[in-house]
Amino acid sequence: MSKTMLVAQREFMENMRTKTFWLGILSFPILIVFAIFGQKLLADSKDVRKYAVLDRSEGQWLSRAVSARATQADIGKLLEEVTEAKDEDERTKLVQKWWSALTEDHPLRIAERQFGLDILSMIANPPELSDQQKQQMSKWRDQLAPGQIEELAKVAGGLSLDDYRQVQFDDLGDDPEKALSEKLNDEKIFAYFVIGPDPEESDETSAYVSNNITDNELRKWYASHATEIVRDRRIKNLNLSAEDAASIRGRYEFAQQNLDGETGEVKDVEDKEKLGGLAPIAFVYLLWIAVFTAAQMLLTNTIEEKSNRLIEVLLSSVSPMQLMAGKVIGIGATGLTIVLSWVISALIGVQFMSGKIAELGLTAIISDPLYLGSFVAYFLAGYLLYAAFLVAIGSVCDSLKEAQSLMQPVFIILIVPLIAMVFVVQDPNGTVARFLTYIPLFTPFLMMNRAGGPPPTWEYVATTILIIVSLAIAFWAAAKVFRVGILMTGKPPKVSEILRWLRAPVGQVAERKQETTD
Amino acid sequence: MEHALTLSHVTKRFGSFTAVDDLSLNIPTGSIYGFIGPNGAGKTTTIRMVMSIFYPDAGEITVLGNSQPEAVKDRLGYLPEEKGLYKTMRLGEIVAYFGKLKGMNSGEAKRKAIDLLERYGLGEWIDKKCQALSKGMGQKVQLLGTLIHDPELVILDEPFSGLDPVNMELMRDTILSMKKEGRTVIFSTHVMKQAEEICDYIFMIHKSKKVLDGTLAEVKSTHERGIQVDYDGDGAVFHELQSQGLVDRVNDAGKTCEMFPTDGTDPQQILKKLVERISIRRFDLRDPSLHEIFVRAVGGEVVDA
Repeated sequence: MSKTMLVAQREFMENMRTKTFWLGILSFPILIVFAIFGQKLLADSKDVRKYAVLDRSEGQWLSRAVSARATQADIGKLLEEVTEAKDEDERTKLVQKWWSALTEDHPLRIAERQFGLDILSMIANPPELSDQQKQQMSKWRDQLAPGQIEELAKVAGGLSLDDYRQVQFDDLGDDPEKALSEKLNDEKIFAYFVIGPDPEESDETSAYVSNNITDNELRKWYASHATEIVRDRRIKNLNLSAEDAASIRGRYEFAQQNLDGETGEVKDVEDKEKLGGLAPIAFVYLLWIAVFTAAQMLLTNTIEEKSNRLIEVLLSSVSPMQLMAGKVIGIGATGLTIVLSWVISALIGVQFMSGKIAELGLTAIISDPLYLGSFVAYFLAGYLLYAAFLVAIGSVCDSLKEAQSLMQPVFIILIVPLIAMVFVVQDPNGTVARFLTYIPLFTPFLMMNRAGGPPPTWEYVATTILIIVSLAIAFWAAAKVFRVGILMTGKPPKVSEILRWLRAPVGQVAERKQETTD
Repeated sequence: MEHALTLSHVTKRFGSFTAVDDLSLNIPTGSIYGFIGPNGAGKTTTIRMVMSIFYPDAGEITVLGNSQPEAVKDRLGYLPEEKGLYKTMRLGEIVAYFGKLKGMNSGEAKRKAIDLLERYGLGEWIDKKCQALSKGMGQKVQLLGTLIHDPELVILDEPFSGLDPVNMELMRDTILSMKKEGRTVIFSTHVMKQAEEICDYIFMIHKSKKVLDGTLAEVKSTHERGIQVDYDGDGAVFHELQSQGLVDRVNDAGKTCEMFPTDGTDPQQILKKLVERISIRRFDLRDPSLHEIFVRAVGGEVVDA
């Protein structure tokens, strides 16, 4: 085995024993697991918000209407999911799960009694509905404006009954507001609503009272229902026909479309395409972490060898170039191992994704050779570029502390692609993105960033040439600095001094007269 | 005579500073060669050139008969003055690693490392990490890393510094046994006593130039003899002798003192003066100590040793 590879092998084996390496390997699967289960856990762990309503409207019509409407929305939502269920078994299971969670005084149960419908069997077995029931159902569904379910889901995060539950208090005495405030203080309820005597006229005397001023979801959810109901009433008072009313209520929307990549025809944008456009952000971020971690490893490692006085022993056996190359290769291999482990865990991870996440086509994105190939290739390019800088910095410093001041400009440079990340993803082939792409230190990150575009082929060719040329220059400079710096002790040199080394002919400073090859 | 190392008119400059100036040196195979000289004189630069860490700006270096020192790097062993170990590596691994870097194959290096560690009393430490070692043990491990590939020429820079008497003896025995095996040993030291004890040849460099080179006896014979006294009492008397013009150099170590009579001074006269003031255990006239030669060579300057 050549001496370079011996050095590389040692670096690799040693790094495998460090915490940084295993943290690097494990961080990503943990992140994925969190992404899959964590959000659901967080959503599940949110307490059901209990609220009371003090309704002064005639016959409490508004609060009743809101309950009914929320119930309809929930049923609609249930129907939506139930009709999408694979088979009878799953359907029954779903329905029973929900139903068993409901108490007798739950709006759905009340609705069951009120509307005289067997909601349970109705939901469970949609085909067996009677004509009248079907009519009722379609009426409900029609009442739900298109996209409302999604909207509702956004406001309430799934079924409203999972999140909000109205509490009835029978005897609130002469001063109900004061009584409710006490309940609020005792944390019996999360909030209470006050509805004025004539909601149709104005919302002047209405109020939402809660001690939590940051979580406004409940207020928005209730208000959105109340608004719809009040608006319905107002429209009705105008004696408009149903058509006119619907027309007034209708929104003006734009369908999101783009050109098909193959046929060039205009088509609707699919959900997974939207996500695909954003995917580079995740890749750039991971790329950044990987490049940064590996380059940092190289720096610490070089300084460790220097401060441990190992350099001279090593140089009595290997040449400085063999040492430098060995270190860069060994740590590069460590980084590549981490990156490949991420790719593999991502590929495994998507197999376990289900439901909505799976529909978004993550599998397709993650296993897309464009992204995967770019990721691995740009990791190598980015690592090598920064490795050249950090190995040179490491060679002239005796301690990490000394390295810090020299590292600062590198850090500042490294942060730019992170800042630009979101802008570039929004405009992957724009002027700013193009401009940044051709600054060699940013090229790997920017090309990854623009992968959603994707950039035209000539840009891939141009940046590949740019990267190769930059690498050659960077390593030529790094080698010059390394040869002098690695045996230096004492104060690290100033940047101006390092530049002088680069200009000086070989042999002028403490350098080797001739190159050696393995 | 066959030479393990030959330097002829070697010069090395760093910018405007000349670190080694026109140095010529012949080191016979199988000898122990002591490099002495004040700090910054050029010892380490010379050694680094032999190890092809640096390349000379002018002159020729022939190592083990090869004028390309690079080509025989694997047959040399070098223990630098500043020695270190990878803290997280295990003893067995690191010694074997140094062997592999010198071209040994993996299995052979591993076997030899274990064998050496056991022989040097570090058997139970083979699987321990280097960070657990004391300084002396660390130095032993570094020495083993230097010797694992049975180098023909070994260069030891300050091998004795920081060693306790037991390990110092071990180091000395190691050096002597290498000589017996026909290897050549170059070692640098600041402790003149050690150099006197084991070196066949002494080489001294000062201000980038060679000032002494030859066998110990040769080096000493070129200098006048001095008086050595072992004594108890107040050493102020020596300086009085000096101010009276009887002796011109005094190296008083507290219990022993070396001095050099001025021309025409009778040693008997000095002895007479001394017995009045201090109790003398030994008084003799002999070759000057290496210490004295060293100090004279650097021109009596204060040496930062």
